Amino acid sequence: MVSVTDLQEMYEAMVTARQYEERLQEEYLEGKQPAFDISAGPIPGELHLAAGHEASGAGVCQHLRDDDTVTAPHRPHHIAVAKGVDLKRMTAEIFGRETGLSKGKGGHMHLFDPDVNFACSGIIAEGCPPAVGAGLAAKKRNTDSVAVAFLGEGAIDQGAFLESLNLAAVQDLPVVFVVEDNDWAISMPKDRVTDVENGARRADGFDMPGTRVDADDAVAVYEAAREAIGRAQDRNGPSLLEVQVHRRMGHFMGDPEAYRSDEDKAAAERRDSIDRLEADLRAHGVDDETIDELRSSARERVEEAIEWAKEQPEPEPADAHEDVFTNPPSGVTDSEPNVAKTETGGDD
Amino acid sequence: MAQQEKDPAEGGQTDRSLTMSRAMVEAIAHEMREDDDVFYMGEDVADYGGIFDSTEGLLEEFGRDRIMDVPISETAYIGAAVGAAQAGMRPIAELMFVDFFGVGMDQIYNQMAKNTYMSGGAVSVPMVLTAAVGGTYNDAAQHSQTLYGTFAHLPGMKVVVPSTAYDAKGLMHNAIRDDDPVVYLFHKRLMGIGWLPAPDGPKTPVPEDEYTIPFGSADVKREGSDVTVVTLGLHVHRALEAADELADDGIDAEVVDLRTLVPLDTETVRDSVAKTGRLVVVDEDYRSFGVTGEIVARVAEAEDGLAALEAVERVAVPDVPLPYARPMENEVIPDAEDITDAVRAAHGDE
Amino acid sequence: MSPDDDRVAVDTGDVWPEDTDEDEGVVVNWFLREGADVEAGDDLCEFQVEKVSVDVPAPTDGTIDEIVLEEDDEFERGAVLAWIEPE
Repeated sequence: MVSVTDLQEMYEAMVTARQYEERLQEEYLEGKQPAFDISAGPIPGELHLAAGHEASGAGVCQHLRDDDTVTAPHRPHHIAVAKGVDLKRMTAEIFGRETGLSKGKGGHMHLFDPDVNFACSGIIAEGCPPAVGAGLAAKKRNTDSVAVAFLGEGAIDQGAFLESLNLAAVQDLPVVFVVEDNDWAISMPKDRVTDVENGARRADGFDMPGTRVDADDAVAVYEAAREAIGRAQDRNGPSLLEVQVHRRMGHFMGDPEAYRSDEDKAAAERRDSIDRLEADLRAHGVDDETIDELRSSARERVEEAIEWAKEQPEPEPADAHEDVFTNPPSGVTDSEPNVAKTETGGDD
Repeated sequence: MAQQEKDPAEGGQTDRSLTMSRAMVEAIAHEMREDDDVFYMGEDVADYGGIFDSTEGLLEEFGRDRIMDVPISETAYIGAAVGAAQAGMRPIAELMFVDFFGVGMDQIYNQMAKNTYMSGGAVSVPMVLTAAVGGTYNDAAQHSQTLYGTFAHLPGMKVVVPSTAYDAKGLMHNAIRDDDPVVYLFHKRLMGIGWLPAPDGPKTPVPEDEYTIPFGSADVKREGSDVTVVTLGLHVHRALEAADELADDGIDAEVVDLRTLVPLDTETVRDSVAKTGRLVVVDEDYRSFGVTGEIVARVAEAEDGLAALEAVERVAVPDVPLPYARPMENEVIPDAEDITDAVRAAHGDE
Repeated sequence: MSPDDDRVAVDTGDVWPEDTDEDEGVVVNWFLREGADVEAGDDLCEFQVEKVSVDVPAPTDGTIDEIVLEEDDEFERGAVLAWIEPE
């Protein structure tokens, strides 16, 4: 059974993640109205927000420790929040600042926080093999840590995912694959790209357990994840979970979603896992005051992170030449600046 | 639709201008009307019309059988295009971002590009692989590359990089009709999409009639006598901007747009350098082992090539992945000022 | 539209996207110049509301007499993009 503490912690992670996406949306759209120019404003580039995915991140990561590894896809914020990634430095990264997790080199699709063993890939399904590798390292070193690869339902048709399932299975590795099914691969509905409605059935072909959590429900995710992660911790091999979530803010910010019906968008709004968990909290005797406190502390934490991030300095242009290698072949920087720039000085 | 049946000679549309994406789509639609064997496969190419408008409006005319959304399975659908091409069809497969080529690379370089050779010419692979390329909007290391040199390096693929709407249409007609695999790399910043504004230049007048631009014919986009600037894609426009600025200081730059890397029009480049004696190569790909080095080598290899060459400069992305934050991305992707500086250096100015 | 003017307005309100609460747009591309002959339905230009792109067809056969809103101009819903002198 789930404890009240677990419920409260998941709730906190979920409202933090939702608040975070809502605030990032505001910040992102600054300078992008009325003309939406993707390279304008304080946060440029693509931004894939995860509002509606919170139950998956919170329900799974509630079971994880800092030494457990998580790989996340291009829509990573809710998972990062639940895994305990440093929120301030993550926000600074998204704002492209020098003190960001990756000194501004990565951006929102490429968040890395080694302190909590969190990494991302912006390429579909390509976070799966590194998660298998983390599981392999745990097995070889005989630790009890596990690895979790998060991916979207559009990614289950990729070779990298299917090959990872097989490798993890044949090597009995402590890996859990979590498919977040938000019904849409950008504009492509699931039934257009696969004949298998229940993605967890992909597990059958590799003789591993596959479970689908049909409702967008943090407690149900928590229960299913406990079994899968417990199995990995007990060194009984990998599992596959598919979790129904909902996409509330388009594929990326500015997605007109012309391909998506109003009913589908409205349904995604209605099935709010945060409301559901709030009802669960009340059913467990948590009072309004406590819930309000959790919400306001989440809001404050998000606000603090965003304010801090915006005060951070931008990187220097020359910083672009560093960090290609851990052991740069020679010289101070990893790469040669442009010829013209070399001649105008700036040999730093 | 009425406008498609209109005779361009009498309609008012002969002086219309198109964005690069619309010009590309016009060529694809024309070829699809002419030849039932042409079809288009990719992610989000049907209802969405391509994330970068590469198939906008085609679903409505041709339906789902010919404008096919496919699973996120690059290996499978690019390989399926190879197989369909070998079976006699003329597929177009789209990689949403060229950066995703790694996911399906074996089908691209070991199958698509080699089957003709490995079969001793018995097999043809008449397909087009389209892909969006390029940075300048802070999409970071996995969504901003051009990889021009990677495709051009591996034998067996023709590689096309349009810089204007006019070129994009003519080159696309050619690409679909060509009996070999053609990699058609369109720069996101040139497509004329509202949310990713293009510079002045890629939107050009485009005839409604079909026309082809032969592969291997570089285009002198600006004539000049002092310095030759050889480039492609977005950087054609950045080089033209630099040339305008240099003209104010009395430096007359010639801008050569390669338009295709395979085949490469070495002659136009050599002729220009023979005239100017100074070569600046500008590329949005990584510096080492790429387009810039290749062009310099081709010029140097020519008879008396080294004698003609008074100065050489390379302007390219240094050998680092594309960083996310604006100051760093601006640092590594060459801009007009970088080109201006390089031309001045080649010209002997300090 | 003044009564002594028989020119036809190209009205942004006629083609405003349905799924938006936004009342401001921006002209993204013109495909034709002043003086060009058009047939009803020809694409004249493209504007953008939020990230939705809208093609604007000629409302009538005629000649583009005046382009009111140029590329990058921002405008309110219902603004006139251009005037067409009917044939």
